[in-house]
Amino acid sequence: MTCSKQWRLAPLAAALFFAIGAQAQTGGESAFSFSGFATLGVVGTNTDAAQYAGNGQVRGADKSWSGEVDSKLGVQGTFKANAMFSGTVQLLSKQNGEGNFTPELEWAFAKAQITPSLALRLGRMGGPFFAVSDFRDVGYANTWVRPPMDVYGQVPFSNFNGADLNFQTNTGLGTLSAQLFGGQGRTTVARTKVDFKKMLGFNATLEMDNGLSLRVGHLQGRLTAHTTTLAGLVALIRTTPFTSTANELDPTDKKATFTGLGATWDSGNWIVSGEYTQRRTDTYAADTDAWYLTLGHRIGKFTPYGTVSQLKHVDSNVTNVIPAATPQLAQLKATVDGFVASQHRAQKTWALGLRWDAYRNVALKAQVDRVKPDGPGFFINPQPGFGTGASVNVYSLAVDLVF
Amino acid sequence: MSNKTSSALLTVALLSLGAAAQAQVAVIVNPKSPTASMTADQVASIFLGKSNTLPSGATAAAVDQPESAAVREQFYTKVTGKQAAQVKAAWSRLVFSGKATPPKELASSAEVKKFVAGNADAIGYVEKSAVDGTVKAVLSVD
Repeated sequence: MTCSKQWRLAPLAAALFFAIGAQAQTGGESAFSFSGFATLGVVGTNTDAAQYAGNGQVRGADKSWSGEVDSKLGVQGTFKANAMFSGTVQLLSKQNGEGNFTPELEWAFAKAQITPSLALRLGRMGGPFFAVSDFRDVGYANTWVRPPMDVYGQVPFSNFNGADLNFQTNTGLGTLSAQLFGGQGRTTVARTKVDFKKMLGFNATLEMDNGLSLRVGHLQGRLTAHTTTLAGLVALIRTTPFTSTANELDPTDKKATFTGLGATWDSGNWIVSGEYTQRRTDTYAADTDAWYLTLGHRIGKFTPYGTVSQLKHVDSNVTNVIPAATPQLAQLKATVDGFVASQHRAQKTWALGLRWDAYRNVALKAQVDRVKPDGPGFFINPQPGFGTGASVNVYSLAVDLVF
Repeated sequence: MSNKTSSALLTVALLSLGAAAQAQVAVIVNPKSPTASMTADQVASIFLGKSNTLPSGATAAAVDQPESAAVREQFYTKVTGKQAAQVKAAWSRLVFSGKATPPKELASSAEVKKFVAGNADAIGYVEKSAVDGTVKAVLSVD
């Protein structure tokens, strides 16, 4: 490990010391509750032709194993002022889109429990885009090492600033939770700032008494990616008559939607879960469909599991109308084709893993993913020729804990 | 080691094994509570964070035993049908989605009884042998 790598991990270590200190000071009759989660994980693959990385990350794993893909630390505090009002803050440190581990304010919201079944939240909160959105970073809460990338890699946002209204009621079938939310999100994907504004969505979950849980969610908003390289390309195309291609590429205030269906069955010793999702945009971020299916079986403290998942490319949203009429136009056409190809998102994954509940709040996991990308998929820094046939084996080891 | 000592040791071992196997768990509420009895499903809902209300409609003040206590392991296995790790994972999903906080953990059965005796909407569990007039048992499991 190089010196600079150690420095990048320093905030994570500092946060851990803070967390342990804070926990030692809490307890008793205080209305303040404190909890946290951490993962120490290493990932390696069998190729140096690209790197396996998490959402928006700039450094991933190849034949050189990386501790920077899955390792993270989160601390969360909730202050309950009275039966109606409470506030929650969560700080999360993991490798972000800038390539550092600076702790970020993942959540900071105030909650008003208006009636026992109705609550209003204001502030920064988790975006309910997937079935396990809120605890996607809490390794201990999930069976896998990480939620299937083929599906969860589609949306780089994890939180938003705004408000939501939560309604919960007991029906004859089970507990129904419905959530309406609105606001705006900002994230950094590989050093590019991305805004999602005018976001509006809903999320509904039915938890039945027999262990079956069903979910449906949909959201829409206006997407803007602040990328100077693409802005330069768009400006260049606009000097030609082929502006329709420029308009399609221009990622400024473009409509985007995301829809998801999910089902989980957790009863006795069997765990079955699956999600089906659709991403649609009016700009260069490709339209994709993705799904996964996980099956796990608890045998005492051990849970072997398997997951099949697939990310399908539906539409690039860009029609390259630039003709190769002159050498300059041919070059421009090739540049656009190259950019569009870099946004092709398709891969299929078979994963097998084992979770071992080694201690009361510690789980150890080992997982092997065999990923077949068509194009770069969600791999980063692909070399020419990557994604034209060969599968990649991804090996992961993780220690997850909650406190 | 003489035969006498080893047979005495064996008797002690058998007795304690028998005691562990026979220990019953009682779910207790405040004596003034209108609730006379509860089903295992009702109790499990509260202790797994699926519901926060007692049959009377009041918001439940649930209290837990220490993670090291034998009665805790027995309670969750028998009443919720889940292992300690499953319970912990279920609560971490609720805590880290900001939806609920787990039952307050008290140090012993004596502390649990004291809390339940002093709070009208409290619910807890102790060894059945520890139940006395200060609390009311609404469910007992073997």
